[in-house]
Amino acid sequence: MITRRVQYELIARAAGPLLMTINRWQGDLKRAVRRVTGRGPARKAAPFGPPLESTRKLKDLMTMHYLTGRYADGAVPVAWVTSGFPVEILRPSGFFTVYPENHGAVCAVRRMVPELSEAVEKQGYSRDLCAYARCDLGSVVTGKTPAGRLPRPDLLACCTNICQTVLYWYRALAEHFKVPLVLVDTPFVYGEAKPHHLQYVRDQLHELRTVAERVSGNHVAPEELEEILKVSLAGTRLWDACLKTGRTKPSPWTGFDSFIHLAPIVSMRGTEECNAYYRILLDELQDRARRGVPGIANERVRLLWDNLPIWFNLRELATLLAEHGFNFVCTTYTNAWAEAGGLIDPADPEGSATRAYIHVILNRDLPNKLRTMKRMCTEYDVQGAILHSDRSCKPYSIGQIDLKDRLAQELGIKALILEACHADQRAYASEQGEMRIRAFMESFDQATPS
Amino acid sequence: MRRAIIREQQARGRKAVAVLPVHYPKPLLTAMDILAVELWGPPGPPRGPDAGRLQAYVCAVARNALAFLAAGHADVVDGVLFPHTCDSIQGLATLAPDFGGWGKPCFRYIQPKGEERPSSRAFVRAELESLAAELAVLTGKSLETAALRRALELHTEIDRLRAALLDGRARLAMTDRELYGLLRRGEFLWPEDHLQELKAATGRLAAEGSAPVQTDLPIMITGYVPEPMTLFDHLRAAGAYVAADDYAGIGRRVLRVPVGEDDVVSERSERSARPEAPPRPRPVSDPFVALVRQSFEAPPCSTRSANQDRRLEYLVGLYRRSRCAGLVVHVPKFCEPELFDVPAIRARFAAEGVPLLYLEGELEADLSAQAQTRIDAFCEMVAAQRRRGGRAAGGTRGGATGGTRSGATGGEA
Amino acid sequence: MSDAAKAVALGVDAGSTTWKAVAIDATGAIVASLVEPAEPRIGAQTERAVAVLRTQAGADAAVPLGATGYGRKRVAAARSLTEITCHARGAFARMRRPGVLIDVGGQDTKVIRIGAAGDVADFSMNDKCAAGTGRFLEVILGRLHVPLGEVAAFAARAERSVLVSSTCTVFAESEVVSLVAEGQPVEGIVKGLHAALASRVAALAGTMPQDGGVFMSGGVALNPAMVEALAGALGRRVEIVPDPQLVGALGAALAVRP
Ligand code: SF4
Ligand code: SF4
Repeated sequence: MITRRVQYELIARAAGPLLMTINRWQGDLKRAVRRVTGRGPARKAAPFGPPLESTRKLKDLMTMHYLTGRYADGAVPVAWVTSGFPVEILRPSGFFTVYPENHGAVCAVRRMVPELSEAVEKQGYSRDLCAYARCDLGSVVTGKTPAGRLPRPDLLACCTNICQTVLYWYRALAEHFKVPLVLVDTPFVYGEAKPHHLQYVRDQLHELRTVAERVSGNHVAPEELEEILKVSLAGTRLWDACLKTGRTKPSPWTGFDSFIHLAPIVSMRGTEECNAYYRILLDELQDRARRGVPGIANERVRLLWDNLPIWFNLRELATLLAEHGFNFVCTTYTNAWAEAGGLIDPADPEGSATRAYIHVILNRDLPNKLRTMKRMCTEYDVQGAILHSDRSCKPYSIGQIDLKDRLAQELGIKALILEACHADQRAYASEQGEMRIRAFMESFDQATPS
Repeated sequence: MRRAIIREQQARGRKAVAVLPVHYPKPLLTAMDILAVELWGPPGPPRGPDAGRLQAYVCAVARNALAFLAAGHADVVDGVLFPHTCDSIQGLATLAPDFGGWGKPCFRYIQPKGEERPSSRAFVRAELESLAAELAVLTGKSLETAALRRALELHTEIDRLRAALLDGRARLAMTDRELYGLLRRGEFLWPEDHLQELKAATGRLAAEGSAPVQTDLPIMITGYVPEPMTLFDHLRAAGAYVAADDYAGIGRRVLRVPVGEDDVVSERSERSARPEAPPRPRPVSDPFVALVRQSFEAPPCSTRSANQDRRLEYLVGLYRRSRCAGLVVHVPKFCEPELFDVPAIRARFAAEGVPLLYLEGELEADLSAQAQTRIDAFCEMVAAQRRRGGRAAGGTRGGATGGTRSGATGGEA
Repeated sequence: MSDAAKAVALGVDAGSTTWKAVAIDATGAIVASLVEPAEPRIGAQTERAVAVLRTQAGADAAVPLGATGYGRKRVAAARSLTEITCHARGAFARMRRPGVLIDVGGQDTKVIRIGAAGDVADFSMNDKCAAGTGRFLEVILGRLHVPLGEVAAFAARAERSVLVSSTCTVFAESEVVSLVAEGQPVEGIVKGLHAALASRVAALAGTMPQDGGVFMSGGVALNPAMVEALAGALGRRVEIVPDPQLVGALGAALAVRP
């Protein structure tokens, strides 16, 4: 335990940054070789604006995070956590947190999901189940991960405010690792949350604190929780401010950038590193906005994106759209981490966390989702929307057909439903998808004579 | 037929509420003079212009229900109750009332997920009281404790008879088609009428200890809803019958332990280990306590995201007690709750050496030819293994036999 | 068909694309056989073709007939059994040891674990989409204008396999079209298609016991490229059951052999 701890600290403080420099250096080398030999994917920079400087810092931050993670188990308590979990309650007990959903996104970007999924499809997991769950379970079973190694959890922390799937998935993890699973079960909010629904969540947060203290062996003073909540609130506000720079015309970045830069607020929420990063990003975005530096070279049409990104096709899609002057300036997905977290009030830790975590977009009814989308359409002044109908994510996708019609009727927004999966490329016909997007883009040019 | 029954009940001053799957506090509805009419689909392809409002990767149960409600086929009822069963029904419960498809009163019953905890116990109680208050607005009269007590007794009796028929299946002179037809009438009959039919059916039960009247291959089925019902005809033609049932809509809703009104938390583990324990009425104090207990004492169900070990123990126990010779897993395509339990069920029953057939369904009107072939082949395989094994019946088999997998690609039914 | 008088049993496999029948002698050897495209009226086809077979094999009406296949219930037979049971019996009779039998047919694909006594220990079948079946190849090869007879030669000529990621017939079709448009060699695509199908079939096979052989039957077994791809996907040697198309019919005949 002691040596493990020393190793962990060493990596986190000294060796990690060093290793990263080497990694980066190797990466540069590879790129240089590619340039010289002319092999490998040639980056056409044309349709995009100058790349964000912060991206490199983001890479360092996330690499560091995963690198530290390799040495975390045995050194500090480790929790695997769902993206919508009130992680602030765990932080004061010193947990290193792993976000399987974020890890799933990394696997998806690297197009590893089919391979990982097949490992559990053999056990009888259906391909109709959420690809994040299949990919993560597959990674656990095979030990394969782009992160090198994920630390073994001491605790699994699951909140159903995004879906029920996470509970089934985490239960399987609990079975595999034989560690406790804490659940925060959040009743779905139809209209207003009922008082006894809030009470239920609040009771569970209370139960959770006890378990977190028991598993970590660390007693937490109330001030410590308050402190974390302050940090978390600040992080949420910073992220919100970053997103809002997209209101500028042209937008200083793209929705696809925002998907990438989402990682810290999802998986490092409530830490100073997270906030420090977003301060850098915000500075850069605000500076770009002031100087009129655009996310894409020629922003003609502004769009809203609904649902998770199609991780494995992110770059292709972004390029296709940018080439024609289409830019995603806002997405309901990235917005989710800017919104509910604003309800946090450090003066009322459990009460405000309850309200914040029950009121996430995926845990609220469709009229709320429509309101949010309409507000975003207006505030970001968009003309069109792409609603990614995600086979893997029913809670996010149900209702999209009606939402599309209503956006058209009530705001005159042209919308496209694009059926795909956020992580498993086997479920996406990219040629057909591309054709539909091209047709969608053409429809704008017919409508608005330039 | 349902329409006539609903009208007749309404003429008696009762209200009728359509209920989506799976679990809901039925005694509460009965006590408030509300006829529950369950909406399991209905089977067949989704009909009507609203069918396309849910993507094709949402299960047929939810898609068909939307099409059915939006087409006005449920207009005769006074309201709809959506239990919080899964993400799909959760979405449907806002899609239909908020975006069109259902204009009459709408109720939701949220059921806690996961393990029983002090917080979830307190929550169920509050949720029941809140539902009762909302239903009182519909009926115009509030819930009476005495009525709830009577309703609890009535449903306890219904469950006792259902359990007797299911547990005594081998001695019951009925085909599967007849038995399921009878049990499923409970989905829309006024409970007292259903009780009469159940009583009549127990007359066809041979005395305990007498030779079984069912001599076909005894099979256990676990799944969601027994649709299409022709499945039973195909099983029968292939020489098998359902000796043990774990459909969410049937066996998983039969409380085999009568729950009294005293809080009996401490005895829970002991009781669930012996689901066959004889009925023992408990002293009366507060009927709500009994309703709360029922929510935790029912057989483990995927849609409540019950503890998996407990569910597997329950299933293996049921399989052994019923002396089955094979297991059919019959789940709806795209159903997350059911599909997530499949790997564990496969692994557990494979370890027991139990042959297993996996069928996926989409509420079709009849099984495809391919699914029929698989049922036939499964029965041929089980019968051959039984002959070779020379064993009288079921239980654990050693060694060679694994599960019949339809592979990662899933099957169909 | 030299010594036709020895026929003791007949077997019919009324499949959805082809109709097959055999006559066997007392040792289980095939003494006569017939393969025809399936006709919509299976009953009538069987009546006619069985009469031909009986003449060929010199088997009178007393020689019993066993039936299997999709249309088995519409065949007047002494006994009818599913393809699963019959394929296991037929393959066991030819290979004489337990193992895993993979039958890639036109409409469905079966993986059958054959036990030590030639029994079905376990089986699995593809779902209703054509992804894991011979149909997958047929549709897409048609699209590429590769004649079925030359498939193996095409694949053999390929310098490398082009990755085809979709295993859904519809998706793969458009993927292949765009691969061609990108200028990828057709030979490599053909090879890639076989690999895609093989991985799908391998997934159906799941984890297989390491003892016993891996056998292949069905029309697709006559395509060496597929056999090779399957062996690659499974990491095991794949043996072809002799007369791969007749395995089901043979099993049906064995089931009624006196
Ligand atoms: S993608 Fe959707 S279903 Fe999957 S874990 Fe996330 S919210 Fe749940
Ligand atoms: S079948 Fe499954 S997914 Fe569909 S409504 Fe029922 S529980 Fe939900």
